[in-house]
Amino acid sequence: MNLKKSFLIALAISAIALTCWELYWRSQGYYPTLNDDKALWSMHRANVETATGDDVVILGSSRAYFDIQLNEWEAATGKKPIQLASTGSSPLPTFNDIVNNTDFKGTVIVGVTPGLLFSTTYPKAMPWERPQAKVNHYQDRTYAQRLNFLLSIPLQQNLAFMSADEEEWADDIDLKALLKRIKIGNRVESSMPPFYNFGEVTIDRNMSMTQHATNDTAFANTIIEVWKFFGAGAPPPDKEATMAFFLKDVEKFKAKGGNLVLVRPPSSGGLRVGESHGLPRTEFWDDLVKQANVKSYHFEDYEQFKNLKCPEWSHLSAEDAQYFTTELAKLMLADNTITTSKTN
Amino acid sequence: MLFNSLSFIVFLVIVLVLYYSKLFKWTSKKRMLLFASYAFYGLWNPPLVILLWISTVVDWTAGKRLAVEDNQRKRKFWLLLSMCVNLGFLAFFKYGDFLLENFVSLVNSFGIDYKVRPMDIILPMGISFYTFQTMSYTIDMYKRKIEPARTFLDFALYVTFFPQLVAGPIVRAKDLITQFYEEKRATTNQFVWGVFLLTIGLFQKVVLADTLLSGVADDVFGSSKLLHGIDAWTGTLAFSGQIFFDFAGYSTCAIGIALMLGIILPDNFKYPYASLGFSDLWDRWHISLSSWLRDYLYIPLGGNRHGITRMYVALMLTMLLGGLWHGAAWTFMVWGGLHGTYLILEKLQKQYLPFKITKWNGVFLAFITFSCVNITWVFFRAREFDTAWNMIKSMFYLQTNGEKILDSFSIIKVCVVIGIMFLCHWIMRNTSMREVSQKTSPWVLAVVWAILLFLIVIAQGSGEQFIYFQF
Repeated sequence: MNLKKSFLIALAISAIALTCWELYWRSQGYYPTLNDDKALWSMHRANVETATGDDVVILGSSRAYFDIQLNEWEAATGKKPIQLASTGSSPLPTFNDIVNNTDFKGTVIVGVTPGLLFSTTYPKAMPWERPQAKVNHYQDRTYAQRLNFLLSIPLQQNLAFMSADEEEWADDIDLKALLKRIKIGNRVESSMPPFYNFGEVTIDRNMSMTQHATNDTAFANTIIEVWKFFGAGAPPPDKEATMAFFLKDVEKFKAKGGNLVLVRPPSSGGLRVGESHGLPRTEFWDDLVKQANVKSYHFEDYEQFKNLKCPEWSHLSAEDAQYFTTELAKLMLADNTITTSKTN
Repeated sequence: MLFNSLSFIVFLVIVLVLYYSKLFKWTSKKRMLLFASYAFYGLWNPPLVILLWISTVVDWTAGKRLAVEDNQRKRKFWLLLSMCVNLGFLAFFKYGDFLLENFVSLVNSFGIDYKVRPMDIILPMGISFYTFQTMSYTIDMYKRKIEPARTFLDFALYVTFFPQLVAGPIVRAKDLITQFYEEKRATTNQFVWGVFLLTIGLFQKVVLADTLLSGVADDVFGSSKLLHGIDAWTGTLAFSGQIFFDFAGYSTCAIGIALMLGIILPDNFKYPYASLGFSDLWDRWHISLSSWLRDYLYIPLGGNRHGITRMYVALMLTMLLGGLWHGAAWTFMVWGGLHGTYLILEKLQKQYLPFKITKWNGVFLAFITFSCVNITWVFFRAREFDTAWNMIKSMFYLQTNGEKILDSFSIIKVCVVIGIMFLCHWIMRNTSMREVSQKTSPWVLAVVWAILLFLIVIAQGSGEQFIYFQF
């Protein structure tokens, strides 16, 4: 047995195989992207510990995540915000974390997706469990995990096949995801339609919609099917518990001198109809604003936002998100909701 | 730090470069290994390194005293001190909440309304492994079976040696400390074989356990529904494979990494799922723990020296405590109790219904053993007795309206992986990977190796923790 020989041949074969694998996926339209995971969130959550009164933290669900673009915000206000919004998440657990576990008393922008903010305070429910898992990861992460994440960044940024996202998208290409695509028979009816990734995130946690989702209506429709699925299966909102939980933290945050701003980003199509029907503005948003007694921005109240259309009903395209961000920042500056640190 | 992580690859490269550089003499290399081992552990939770230090200092002192002390009472004192510290750590960190919870239940059962908040104690990674390893040193010293470690550095490295620190193999002092006395360098063949073992271990963990089996096991055991029999069996088989590949994967990595440093660690698994009966199983599964329990628990409890009844009691107690070693829950006790029962039944069968094992009935016997082992895994994996009982009912079709939660491909995937695993264990049960590889052409070995590497990389993995770390 010549082990050394075997080893060298194995290295050569695996290097060739991996190169072919990478080239194949690139030929299929994949390109290197970062995974939007707990480790990335935690890296930015750590920045809140040293943030000053001039800083802005964005919380909320995917709408605040996709629709507020960090570079445009920075261009308008002179300061890059800390983006901590997350997909499919209620903002309550993360706001609770910021209020109770930090001394931060700058500006917190909470993006309001009514179906998520008013959903539940039950710890095992998806809109709560997902952001809470991020908070827990931040608090419990080991030095080894931090190091793993830092080492994985250059790999994720340079290799298309590194795509084992925590979200387990239907179009991920790690081995587990590829095996999941194989369907034999119909022993179990899969009720949830395939959920494809439609956003890409940068190292500063700027999320934007992919061109594919923006330009390909058929692809956008697959995302719409997922919203319909979630909408149909969603339990009724728990306004009383969510409001009580949130307002308690609001008071605490205001007492510390913090500045809370509520923003309702756009939605369109059937989703907006469903939201208007299931979570009417007067009953939910207006009441929240009244009780929180903080500055608020609802897209329906501004001419410049009224005609924005979300390609998959829930999030703005990258281009529209840039416009939305710039205009929103202008409105906030004009209202003195936030201040600029820009110097001319 | 996990073997299946990027940080470990960097860590290992740095350690190997320093180890094989000509910068250091052997003592400095051992210091470097010791420091690296503390870093390996501390990158998880730095303050808990203090526990390692305490265990090291106490057992070093006890061992040193035991080497020179002739007074039997004083010798007992040093042994008890070592055992109290090590078992005290285990009792507090691992069983603290469990003991408290059961105490509260007991008090409540007498009608006393007593409530107490759980202590939520953090479980130091691998505490069961390093406490057992270091206790074996003082017990062997007490029994005058071994010589004391020559230097504190040798002893500290024995307690902390990073490849096997957090999940074994639990190595005896005589097998490891003595290897630190002379400078060790792996030969080229040893080094490359170490890399091969590391590849095999990572393949077992990342591809087989985490990618192919864990999802099905998690879905089935995480389900609150009463399941269809096929789903329950598939989930159990998946866990059976997952825990083997996870734990054997860790041991294989550990043995490979140590070999890359020129240090030889003992085998911890020898194709256990092809065992012919349960005595055979425990000679093949987690060998370092089962031999520890045999030498330091079963034999001191009397072993087979005081008649059959006493032997059965010793056997059952050993297996019950072995179950409890795995985790602070009654389900683990049941797991141990089932294995104890199997062992007793096997001894009875050998006494009253002996038969010759041939190559024809052997595979059938191995299959029966494997099936019985699977039943025990239900209690090992289920967090609650209700879940375990529901699973057992489903597996034996005691309910007809069980829900189907697994798709056909998942069932086929698990059956294929477990089927191949069982056949491999059967084919390999009387040989070793080393022997087989020696008979294999370098090109065939290279292609297999390349496939393993390729699958590890494309599986990517999410750096999931090894199951046995929690023990």
